[in-house]
Amino acid sequence: MSDERPDPRTDFGDEALGRRLASELPRYTAPARLRISLVEAADRPTRRPMWLGPLVAAAATALALVLFLLPVLPRIEPADPVQQVVRAVVNEHSRALMWGARQPQVIPAALPWLTQETGIDLRRAFAGDDRLSLVAAEPVYLTRQRGLAVHYRDVDGHLVSYIMLPAERSFAMNERERVAIADRWRPMLKRDSGFVTWVWKQGDVACFLVSDMVSQDDLERFKDYFVRVRVATEPTIAY
Amino acid sequence: MADLEFQRQALQHLDALYNFAVYLTRNPPEADDLVQETYLRAFRFSHRFQPGTHLRAWLFQILRNTFLTFYRLRERETAIAEDGVPDWDVPMFHDTSTDEGGALEAHTDLERAMRRLPEEFRTVLLLAEVEGMPLEEVARVMACPVGTVKSRIFRAKERLRGLLKDYGTK
Repeated sequence: MSDERPDPRTDFGDEALGRRLASELPRYTAPARLRISLVEAADRPTRRPMWLGPLVAAAATALALVLFLLPVLPRIEPADPVQQVVRAVVNEHSRALMWGARQPQVIPAALPWLTQETGIDLRRAFAGDDRLSLVAAEPVYLTRQRGLAVHYRDVDGHLVSYIMLPAERSFAMNERERVAIADRWRPMLKRDSGFVTWVWKQGDVACFLVSDMVSQDDLERFKDYFVRVRVATEPTIAY
Repeated sequence: MADLEFQRQALQHLDALYNFAVYLTRNPPEADDLVQETYLRAFRFSHRFQPGTHLRAWLFQILRNTFLTFYRLRERETAIAEDGVPDWDVPMFHDTSTDEGGALEAHTDLERAMRRLPEEFRTVLLLAEVEGMPLEEVARVMACPVGTVKSRIFRAKERLRGLLKDYGTK
């Protein structure tokens, strides 16, 4: 019976191979400079400030919330919705001033057609007098609403536009801007882009009388025009 | 675990990690970089380490993941080389000339054979046989089941055996 032991160099059994790996494979030790640099790195204070993580997380959360809630956040509306309508009215007036009426119609012949086009019925209409003469009446579309514009010209050549629109719920008269006229009416006086506008509500109709009569003398005359128009005109919502 | 205590304990495994890094990279300067990066990550994410679990396995896991990250990056770069053949002498982290002690020379058949094993086989043998890690820890480092570790050890030894026989007959 032979007592031969396998040569460890040629014994490739599982256990022998494991032993060879553990004992014969050279082990490499870390260089001293690597150990020193690691110890130094460990001693160094953390580069990132402690508060940075929570701050970034909070900012990310806030951003995500804003993005998530953006569709339901209230829109930024102008502080005064009446002022927005006044601006649109002034734009329409200045357009008429520059280019005239798009489709001049003579009241009262055109009244049924205007009512049909605008939804505003003029039971009575100021057709002009010795100071103001009727120039044109036409349908307009302002602030997403159909309306009616009637243009007059005074003896001095000032164009005066009387614009009527359905009064929205947000239409509110600001007490501080109201001016008493003839102890009977208290319209608001609005100024915008070098024009003045009388604003009042007649039933469910928002009315605007706009002109460039901004000086103090002109303003007195403009009050008179307001009275003339206000007394003789009676707009209502037709449908 | 306090930071200082954690750092002290982590540095106890420096030699083992360095040895593992040398066998992975086959290049001492690259092994230096790999170990340094491993410790920087370990210190940075020390709060994620769960006390009571094996710190050694966690460090080896970081080292291997770091190696694989750079290894894959290098593989992608070499994949677009003109000849399409990966150049294993290209250093992993930076250019190192051979006279600076770059590529490591193999001294024994066993070492030479180990170098020719694929990374998965080399790692499993280094951890289980050289470092003497329990199979559960090896499985954690390699992020695979214990059964897979066992089969990899078996196949790695098969492959190693074949290579050693080849050297023996030459």
